[in-house]
Amino acid sequence: MQTKVDERAVGWQNTLPVTPMTTTQNASLPLLKKQAPMNQVLYALIPLALSGIYFFGWRVAVMLAVGNLAAFLTEYAFVRGTGQQVTMAVFVTGTLLVMGLPPTLPMWMVVVGAVFAVAFGKMMFGGFGRNVFNPALVGRAFLYISFGGFMTANWSEPVPGVAGGLLAYASDTITTATPGMTLKTGVEIPFRDLFVGATAGTVGGTSALLAILCGVYLLWRKIANWRIAVPAILGFLGMQGSLWLAGAPKAAEPLHAMVAGSFLLGVFFYATEPVTASKHAVGRWIYGAFIGAMSSLIGVFSVWPAGTMFAILLANMFAPIMDYGLKQWDAKRAVAKKAVAAAGPR
Amino acid sequence: MSELLYFLAVLLSAVFTSNILLTNYLGMCSFLAVSKEIKTSLGLGAAVVFVMAITCPLNWMVSAWVLEPLHLEYLRFIVFIVVIAAFVQVLEMIVERVSETLYANLGIFLPLITVNCAILGASLFMIIRKYTLAESFVYGTGSGLGWMLAILAMAGIRQEKLNQSKLPRGLEGPAIALVVAGIMALAFMGFSGMGGGN
Repeated sequence: MQTKVDERAVGWQNTLPVTPMTTTQNASLPLLKKQAPMNQVLYALIPLALSGIYFFGWRVAVMLAVGNLAAFLTEYAFVRGTGQQVTMAVFVTGTLLVMGLPPTLPMWMVVVGAVFAVAFGKMMFGGFGRNVFNPALVGRAFLYISFGGFMTANWSEPVPGVAGGLLAYASDTITTATPGMTLKTGVEIPFRDLFVGATAGTVGGTSALLAILCGVYLLWRKIANWRIAVPAILGFLGMQGSLWLAGAPKAAEPLHAMVAGSFLLGVFFYATEPVTASKHAVGRWIYGAFIGAMSSLIGVFSVWPAGTMFAILLANMFAPIMDYGLKQWDAKRAVAKKAVAAAGPR
Repeated sequence: MSELLYFLAVLLSAVFTSNILLTNYLGMCSFLAVSKEIKTSLGLGAAVVFVMAITCPLNWMVSAWVLEPLHLEYLRFIVFIVVIAAFVQVLEMIVERVSETLYANLGIFLPLITVNCAILGASLFMIIRKYTLAESFVYGTGSGLGWMLAILAMAGIRQEKLNQSKLPRGLEGPAIALVVAGIMALAFMGFSGMGGGN
């Protein structure tokens, strides 16, 4: 067993990378590797980033810059001297991480999250295209567990006025709960308020309307797979609906609950990431439905305010073994079909 | 009916909320060593489920009917280990007779179940939580299933994903497995507080 590891270690140094994602040692390569699909994701993230600045002030822009810079430098530290380039995807990771943070989070925590996300979520697995878990969510989960108070009880109300946050650095009004949390205590909040956003919440997650618009753009450009997004939404509505009808405490009305938090942002931008999602046709449906149902279950029953992040990480975790099982099942069915076909002529 | 629901809650909380591996970090050694292949993991996982489901009630009986009447509770650790070791020895003989391949695949790891801290841990948790005989059986099964679930997920990740990618030097094998286990534990934190929590 020992020799096998050694061979792989030597092979890593000597063989030319076969995947198009990696490149050979070449001094003339630009620092940044352009990736067309990643550009599309970044375009889709622009409205969300702008809405974050409009709602919560220019501090959000600083958070985005700091988070992306930290993410970029982390990836650069890993690829420096290996002949590989920093991938465009690192900015998707950085931006998605900041989208899921409260706008009041201290800057150094943004840095910690971005470094953890890229180092532990992505580069340790060999870089772009090889990560097992969604890097941005790994970083966010790390922040969530480490700095619970900052991540779950330190929100700011949107800056009031027509100009909104465009004339302010940060919002002055601090609050301890988002509408998604108050909804669970049984307080009625109008659907329109929750849907349009402009409420306390994460940088990019308050407006369900924008998340849907940007998500539909991703679906249209075929960056995100509707075979994951649709079952996720159905799974959430189904599970939340059953819990609501069963009268579970803390279970809010399904449609309100769906648009209150960052669930839709999570579904369109994190859950559909192709590298970590299931790669099996049927598996994608199960994967999506699992994320939706689990988001609702964790949101209602656990100590955490929302379950989308944990649901997606759990789905990432079980996707490989599920795909393996489904492939085995497919193989068995193919063999059975062949046997039937062979026996057919009689 | 409510009794049944209660047993279901004990089972689910043992599988998810207080997963013996990902929230109590017990049974790590065999988890890291055997999770390279899905087939072997399935075998070891099934063995752990079986051993836990039997040894938990077995230890409960020994504890409640022998140790406590004789006021020998301080011997619990050593007696539990002896009970588990004896049971695993019997199981090993059965596996050798029934499935030669599984026996060869499990190799040293089946005897190692004897000292798998998760098995002893489950028996000790069962005493701390003052479960009844029936509950201890459900709890043992649930803990075993939770352990099996975790090792299957890990084996899936290692066989289907990590094997096919070139990892940075020095991170191959147990190193990256520990990183993955850490992130899996992060994900399992999501279950905290569910099912009454323990």
